[in-house]
Amino acid sequence: MADIGKVRIRIPSSIKPGEVVQVRTLVIHPMERIERDREGRIIPKTYNYINKVIVTYLGKTIVTFDTTQSVSENPFFSFAFKATDPGPLRVEFLDTTGGRYEGAVDITFA
Amino acid sequence: MKIAVRASRTMTRRTMLGTLGVIALAAASGTLTPPRRAGAQPLGLNESLDEAMTRVFGSRSIKDGGSLIKLDIPLIAENGAVVPVSVRVDSPMTPTSYVKHIYVVADKNRIPVVTRVTLTPAAGQAFMGANIRLGETGDVRAIVEQSDGTLWQVKREVKVTVGGCGG
Amino acid sequence: MRRLSALPSLALGALVLGCAVMARQTPEDAGMLTWTSRALPEARGDFRVLPDGRREAIRYKGWPTRDFSAFRTYDYDDPRPEPVVERVTMPAGLKGDPTKGRALFLDRAKGPCSGCHLVPGADVWPAGNVGPDLSTLGDRGLPDPYLYQLVWDPRVVFPDTAMPPWGRNGVFTSEEVAHLLAYLQTLRGPLPPETDPDRNPLTRKKPVGFGDNLDPTNNPAVLLAEDAQAPWEQKGPAGRACADCHPGGPERAMRSVATRYPKHVRIYGRVMSLEDFLEAHGPETTGRPYPAESADNLTMTMRIKMASNGLAVALDTSSPEARAAIARGRATFYRKVGARNHSCADCHTSDKGAKKFLGGRLLADVSDGLTRHFPTWRTDRGEVWDLRKRFQWCMTPLGTNMLAADAVEYAELELYLTTFDRGKPLNVPGIRH
Repeated sequence: MADIGKVRIRIPSSIKPGEVVQVRTLVIHPMERIERDREGRIIPKTYNYINKVIVTYLGKTIVTFDTTQSVSENPFFSFAFKATDPGPLRVEFLDTTGGRYEGAVDITFA
Repeated sequence: MKIAVRASRTMTRRTMLGTLGVIALAAASGTLTPPRRAGAQPLGLNESLDEAMTRVFGSRSIKDGGSLIKLDIPLIAENGAVVPVSVRVDSPMTPTSYVKHIYVVADKNRIPVVTRVTLTPAAGQAFMGANIRLGETGDVRAIVEQSDGTLWQVKREVKVTVGGCGG
Repeated sequence: MRRLSALPSLALGALVLGCAVMARQTPEDAGMLTWTSRALPEARGDFRVLPDGRREAIRYKGWPTRDFSAFRTYDYDDPRPEPVVERVTMPAGLKGDPTKGRALFLDRAKGPCSGCHLVPGADVWPAGNVGPDLSTLGDRGLPDPYLYQLVWDPRVVFPDTAMPPWGRNGVFTSEEVAHLLAYLQTLRGPLPPETDPDRNPLTRKKPVGFGDNLDPTNNPAVLLAEDAQAPWEQKGPAGRACADCHPGGPERAMRSVATRYPKHVRIYGRVMSLEDFLEAHGPETTGRPYPAESADNLTMTMRIKMASNGLAVALDTSSPEARAAIARGRATFYRKVGARNHSCADCHTSDKGAKKFLGGRLLADVSDGLTRHFPTWRTDRGEVWDLRKRFQWCMTPLGTNMLAADAVEYAELELYLTTFDRGKPLNVPGIRH
């Protein structure tokens, strides 16, 4: 898929200092499922799926998701953070084949 | 290669989101880094629910979190491939009292453990959401580990539907 | 009228397109055009012959490949009438087994009968209600021969039914029908109190959908549509890009264009959706191929339609070409096809299946407008589908061979369906189950 690793992040349009904000994020990723052979045995191979999502704000990790193949294709995650200061909010997605995808959004106060 | 990622275009986003009342600003970048050294064992294994619960929580007792945890998930999933779930836990999220982990477990999945969310007080709110896969009708549980080490859970049955016309 | 319009474009087509356009052979359609498909090979409805002589359908990856050529299709050139009603008498001495009958009733490889009819049992999930609840059918004392006929070919009793002629068209054998009867006759009241309101489609909660179409953190298709930007701006092999003739970016250049499709396009002599037009116009101008069902065609279609989001569908329904095409599209909508002898109308009109459950799916009502969110993200497929692929997928359970994605028949059906969307805003890409 040519679009693998595209990341989108959504935050509210206006954020006040100190506000707890919910964030939505999506990454284009196949999240490969387990395949089985004709006898029903799991085909052993490195399945490509995102197994870690790391959210950092102002350089500090605030939330992480450890994830499995029970998460949907093109996974969507949401989480909260307390917007204390202006600065970058980063979401980093790591997959089992070494892929790393990142989205970032600048938190500013109106 | 995992580097087929372009900087995202933002020119259309405002129009697309015009009705949403929010803006989205996102940049995407892709780099190739060596795989992280995983722990001894991945979080998700092809196992039974009992095996998963024992592996992850050992013999620790899990209390009824009905008054603490709000698990939001459709009771009927139109499609098991994408089931939106969110968990909200009543917690002050202070350094002395916060929610450390939220687990989502799908009892009937071949890989029952869906995700383990690790939170810090900086999250401000014990909240998580994700789209998950459900192989068949069954319970989905949210298990919460507080900073004092106590475990709490709630569960709800989700029915997975299919179309009616065979084929 | 269509004869008049077709002839000049035939000449033009011969010049511009080589053999892509040719005249139809049947006298009543003389002057109508046959469109040689430019779709992806797996989207053309073609077949291959296997070494053992069997025909196997060439289909999208993972789709069934069975050949249903014994049954009527939507092809304008398929002259076969609806199969005649078959009156049967139940073979003497035929005795069914209720256990086998129940398994057949629920077998997803057959009906499943439970897709339309509720019966008792916690394992009956998800039952539909397009047909009557059969939970106490045995109490009605209906004679076996009557029920046998009803399953074999219900049109003897109900000429306008949506129920397939299961025996007549060979889906169930004589023995299997007997098993079904044996099971149905065991269904007696009084029923125990229902412990699960979702089991019954009449009391089941309605599906909640999949959220906001246009939220890029909700609908992956929004992100995929961005892929159209490169072919829009980059020159194709013919030395031109879309942007060269349509300046101002797709938002401005294509604003409101999609509201007028499908429409009759004079130079091609046929009704075209945006997808159809793109697969002809794109390569002719830029040299870049845009075959129907290709990623480029789908993403460019989404991009162009998104430029009309919020604008009302504004079809031409009054020109003679449009009126004739809408009439043909309507006939297709009501045409019975395939092993199940179904029409689109059986599922999507309010006097039949619309707004009822077919298994776990709530059937849409044509009068609400079914087209203005296409192309749409299919969450269970992880793919973008345009309306044509949706049509083609419908062909599978109907038991009829699909036509090419860019077939004129589908274009005119799409035009008819889109008439119900007139005045309603486009909202592309959709997101569905």
